[in-house]
Amino acid sequence: MSYSTFNKTQSNPLTEPMFFGNSVNVARYDQQKHSIFEKLIEKQISFFWRPEEVDVSRDRVDFANLTASEKHVFISNLKYQTLLDSVQGRSPNIAFLPIVSIPELETWVETWSFFETIHSRSYTHILRNLFTDPSEVFEDIVINTEIQKRATDISSYYDDLIFYTQLWQTHGEGEITIDGETHNVTMRNLKKKLFLCVNSVNALEAIRFYVSFACTFAFAERDLMEGNSKIIRLIARDENLHLVSTQQIINLWQYGHDDPEMKEIADELQDEALAIFMKAVEQEKEWAHYLFRNGSMIGLNEEILCQYVEYIANMRMEAIGYDSPFKQRSNPLPWMNKYLVSDNVQVAPQEAEITSYLVGQIDSEVSASDLGDFEL
Amino acid sequence: MSKSYKIKVNGQHELAVDASTSTLLEAMEAAEIETHYHCRNGFCGACRTQLIQGEVTYINEPLAFVRPGECLACCCIAASDLEINH
Repeated sequence: MSYSTFNKTQSNPLTEPMFFGNSVNVARYDQQKHSIFEKLIEKQISFFWRPEEVDVSRDRVDFANLTASEKHVFISNLKYQTLLDSVQGRSPNIAFLPIVSIPELETWVETWSFFETIHSRSYTHILRNLFTDPSEVFEDIVINTEIQKRATDISSYYDDLIFYTQLWQTHGEGEITIDGETHNVTMRNLKKKLFLCVNSVNALEAIRFYVSFACTFAFAERDLMEGNSKIIRLIARDENLHLVSTQQIINLWQYGHDDPEMKEIADELQDEALAIFMKAVEQEKEWAHYLFRNGSMIGLNEEILCQYVEYIANMRMEAIGYDSPFKQRSNPLPWMNKYLVSDNVQVAPQEAEITSYLVGQIDSEVSASDLGDFEL
Repeated sequence: MSKSYKIKVNGQHELAVDASTSTLLEAMEAAEIETHYHCRNGFCGACRTQLIQGEVTYINEPLAFVRPGECLACCCIAASDLEINH
């Protein structure tokens, strides 16, 4: 099953499953099997922003006045987010594009990944402003053991799927021995790896970002690092949309609206998917512990942050049909919502209030009164 | 035109809501019930609410997956008397 960049098999994209059907040939959107992905693309593109639009110059002064423990919180979070977006800026493309079978989902994956690259560029924008030479921060991302622990978990499901897809593309189905290790490449196994991978990405988008979002907005509540906070709000808005897409994929499988075999797999691997989620929750709590090991900051400490992780996790797990496992039913950080409301995001300096506008939009509504004083 | 409906929330609050002026989320906020939301725009799904009885109409099409028996409070209005868990 080698991949072709233009599959000459005539196929009907309306009857293809989302993944592991015939690879996409014509990028057409006039007919869609799952139109939700086209709607997500439109929404995502309407959110377009550039890091350079946000002025972060005041943050340098604020940063210099932070305590050592606050600096640790701020920089550690930026490192972690840099890792997350480094992974997300490439992995959906590498893992999902070779196996995707409907054009609207293919384009969504590309759009999604592209926006993650904007996020990555924005971290450089923030760090370049704070440090004359940000190399030390970037270089620590691959050395820091706390970050490494998370990186392993985040990338392993992607890597596994990518490797098996490569084996399948070059050897087809069957037992394949590479470097003395035998791999059983079957379509069922590939689909299982896909299912686990999407669940791991879902957990990433659902909760992994939120510990650092909370810290960023806690600084903003004290009128500190506001440029950074503006950028993170834009990122949070995008991540919410990415999360919806993975939730959509998982729900479409669970409800049998797509590949019937994926419905079976969703039932079969329910506990494993749950375990992925719970592990992500645990890791985020550990991360909160690491952040505050040198002391807390005004408005936020390890305990409240862990409660927030549980609150968010409940919400996210219900969205994919799991019972909420934690007792934390009320929001321990109510002010977070103010920063997550999409209409409060400022996209351009002159647009302080409203964001849901489209560039170059034309108002085509003409009422009779518009022509009231027109005479022949 | 006002469209007034009764909404029962979490089995304890009874609200009389004018569906022409407020979404389900706004109605709950006006009654000072603790609400859960993020985007308020129908795409994040944080305001997911259990719809036990009744019908809602969406004023903005939700992008989040709405599972059967649920509604997204930020972008829907009551279309009948409702019983919900939020």
